[in-house]
Amino acid sequence: MSFPHSQSPSIAARSIGARVPRGDDPRLLTGRGQYLADIVLPGELHACFVRSSAAHARITRVSIDEARALDGVVAVWTGEDAAKFCEGIVGELEVEGCFATTMPLLARDIVRYVGEPVAVVVAESRYVAEDGCDLVDVDYEPLEPVLHPRSALEGGPSANEELPDNVALRGGKVLGDVEGAFNNAARVIEATFHSGRLSAGPMETRGVIASYDWTSRRLRLWTGSQMPHYIKYCLTAYLGFPENECEVLTPDTGGGFGQKAHIFPEEMLLPLLARELDRPVKWVEDRRENLMTATHAHEQFIDIAYAFDSDARATGVRIRATGDGGAYHQPPWSMGVEPWCTAMVTPTGVYDIPAADLIYEAAATNKTPIGAYRGVGYMAGTLVRECLMDDAARAFELSPFDIRRRSVVREFPWTNPQGIVYDEGSWLQTIDELERMVDYTAFRERQAALRAEGRFIGLGLSVFVESSGESTAMGKAHDLGGIYHDTATVKMEPNGSVTVTIGLTTQGQGHRTTMAQVVADSLGVPLEAITVRAAESTTYGWGSGTVGSRGAVIAGGAVLRASNVIRTKLVALAASMLEADPADIDLVDGAAVVLGVPGSSVSIIDLATAVYFDQSAWPADFDPTLEATLAYDPARPIFSNGGHAMIVEVAPDTGFVTVEKVFSVEDCGTVINPDIVEGQIRGGVVQGIGAALLERLVYDDSGQLVTTTLLDYHMPSMDFSPPFEIHHLETPSSHTPGGIKGMGESGLIAAPAAVLNAVNDALSHTGTVLHNIPITPEQVLRALRG
Amino acid sequence: MTQPSEHVSVQVEVNGRRYQRSVMARLTLSDFLRDELGLTGTKVGCEHGVCGACTVLIDNEPARSCLMLTVQANGKQIRTVESLASGREMSPLQACFQKHHALQCGFCTAGFLMSATALLEEGQPTREDIVETLSGHYCRCTGYSPIIDAVEEAAAKESS
Ligand code: FES
Ligand code: FES
Repeated sequence: MSFPHSQSPSIAARSIGARVPRGDDPRLLTGRGQYLADIVLPGELHACFVRSSAAHARITRVSIDEARALDGVVAVWTGEDAAKFCEGIVGELEVEGCFATTMPLLARDIVRYVGEPVAVVVAESRYVAEDGCDLVDVDYEPLEPVLHPRSALEGGPSANEELPDNVALRGGKVLGDVEGAFNNAARVIEATFHSGRLSAGPMETRGVIASYDWTSRRLRLWTGSQMPHYIKYCLTAYLGFPENECEVLTPDTGGGFGQKAHIFPEEMLLPLLARELDRPVKWVEDRRENLMTATHAHEQFIDIAYAFDSDARATGVRIRATGDGGAYHQPPWSMGVEPWCTAMVTPTGVYDIPAADLIYEAAATNKTPIGAYRGVGYMAGTLVRECLMDDAARAFELSPFDIRRRSVVREFPWTNPQGIVYDEGSWLQTIDELERMVDYTAFRERQAALRAEGRFIGLGLSVFVESSGESTAMGKAHDLGGIYHDTATVKMEPNGSVTVTIGLTTQGQGHRTTMAQVVADSLGVPLEAITVRAAESTTYGWGSGTVGSRGAVIAGGAVLRASNVIRTKLVALAASMLEADPADIDLVDGAAVVLGVPGSSVSIIDLATAVYFDQSAWPADFDPTLEATLAYDPARPIFSNGGHAMIVEVAPDTGFVTVEKVFSVEDCGTVINPDIVEGQIRGGVVQGIGAALLERLVYDDSGQLVTTTLLDYHMPSMDFSPPFEIHHLETPSSHTPGGIKGMGESGLIAAPAAVLNAVNDALSHTGTVLHNIPITPEQVLRALRG
Repeated sequence: MTQPSEHVSVQVEVNGRRYQRSVMARLTLSDFLRDELGLTGTKVGCEHGVCGACTVLIDNEPARSCLMLTVQANGKQIRTVESLASGREMSPLQACFQKHHALQCGFCTAGFLMSATALLEEGQPTREDIVETLSGHYCRCTGYSPIIDAVEEAAAKESS
């Protein structure tokens, strides 16, 4: 089926493609940004949470009297109080074999992970609220914690009695002649991988402010969410706030990376508290809470095997991806999306592999719920696929570039065994380009020379294809539910200036700048005349969320469709004023010009003024509305691609790994702003280096999280940051505005595999191959010492 | 002994302006700057001294305002990110941050700017000096190399 909101008009790239500096920067650089904690409402109260200290336990008593009696404490709520308004948030993934859970707003009877909210104290100041939490006494009767996903799936105690066998998700598919591929294989390359538990770790933690006015039943909720319209929907559906009087506001946000793309119990509790207490209530998460209770990410155990024929071409794949899901599904992404995507989407990657046996499963465990983090499912999937490609290269004694060229898809459109159609891509060129960039022969010579001196450097390669611009078509192509569309409003005022509102929030990705570039090219107005508001309030527009590398594509499409309505009017008016054919009019450099007639032009400002104030200039039947709101949802799934090559050095005395250089190739179609695209690459790659070398949330045997500060959860700092060489390929999509494709996740998707491969290459003389991340110095030393 | 919630009197100079306030003994300096003086440019990212977002200059030395009590700053001169621009012009360092796309979400930025400002005031830092000093700050967005480039260019500008 085709709908009008899937068609995007064409656009001539003028500002698009330029390194336009971000208009937001002076404000943020001078300390004028307004992030959640910076907002102060008159009379606001402060909330602080009492959180479970046990991984799995029955709550036998919660005593709150002392806390209630503390001077300055206004209210203390426990699970019973919250349950009067809401039983909990139901979560599941809309795929075959997923079983739902209900996450209470505050735990009742049983706690299921360390950090689960048990009570909330509301007080006149944050300091007093924390004092109050210290006075709440909770007695626990321990239950056995379930901590290992694969044994959890085999039986034993349950982590959450809603899922008695701990199966939150289980399914799969066999596509093509997998048996045949493996029976006839010249070689089978296989391994079991573990990718560690991560925190997205945005520098700004989560936070919520709620304010309610009983006279109008008006609720205002501030949250740095990537999905404010979804939050609003939950507030109305679960809590009954009237839709027309419910507004979710998104202030400046200090990073999200997927963590802020969920609905959290805190976001549901604060509006209830504000309503019942008749005062605004604010909660700002601290870092310990963030590491402990904001969603965790990416942890999986994965068995994977590739069959190769005697020409070293991959002919079949088998994968079993098991997610360590935590105690509940965190809506909307749930613990299912991680292993589901790894198994169902990524095993074929850029390779023409005709047969696939795909199994996904997620186990409930007594840990913090798993949610989305940049490259959800794709990172682990790319890790295991690309790592086995390098293992295969060693087995076949081929270069990492050659082994990939044997199997890479060369002709488009290409349909993978899962039935997903890829319209275009520069998959082979990416491999060729990376080989050129690293100067492979010279690298091998340098590696040999250094090895003779007792120094170990290695080269790792990782190439990817990424679904981008998450859309209804993308969901359908992957047998996933979900309907997406986003709107934008473009409004021109009498002096020719333009205000744009988009339904997507921004967490640092520079949408205000890139969307202004799109409008500048559509309407021919200068960037200074354009203001973009990125979903600062749900009062404007509709948005399906800043997720799935969709910002540029989806907001771009909606903005372009809306601004094209304005463009058409300006062109009609200019044609009438200049007595020309509308087909001959272009809008460029602040004016409407008649092509081929030098000197025949009228400024955009004069056109706008005439729309508002000079009816005599109008053509017949002219409608002077210079404001349009339109939706966009691409007609087809969009895929970007690229790859990274990394050179690392391992220190034989300490086992530490240093990344010497990163080479990145990115093909996200038409690049709107190279500075912003490169910023996304560097940021994502360094997060990937963190995932590969440093970051890991660790639980002990009793289910206590032991990494609850930034000293224990070690993110990369500047001394881990390598120099980059970035090369852009441009294979525009024929289905998106101007050919744009999304790319926000690519850095993190593919970087960890490149690091792991580089370390394995550095260790290749030892015969040890590592398959787990993060790669710890101990693992490296063990390999080096045999 | 003073109790944590007792009030004590402090006198500080912040961004050239003198303040005399009575504050809770346990009030952190970051909360004082943000909540009492409304200088919200200083950010709090961890409250345990690791991320560097809360860095301010105290008597010209970088310090983590989340780890300090307001009373410890008594009698001292404090500079925050709000002091860097002069008039309506960003400082050369701020301008270099924009030019090099050294910020995305901007939450870490004030901390980096304050440490880098102190570094530039000390003399002419090398790239290694920059990396060593600023490795005490986390940025989750940029991957750092644009920040190094920005500070390096600001250092070059200062010496020219
Ligand atoms: S907030 Fe002070 S160091 Fe993180
Ligand atoms: S710019 Fe976002 S944390 Fe540094």
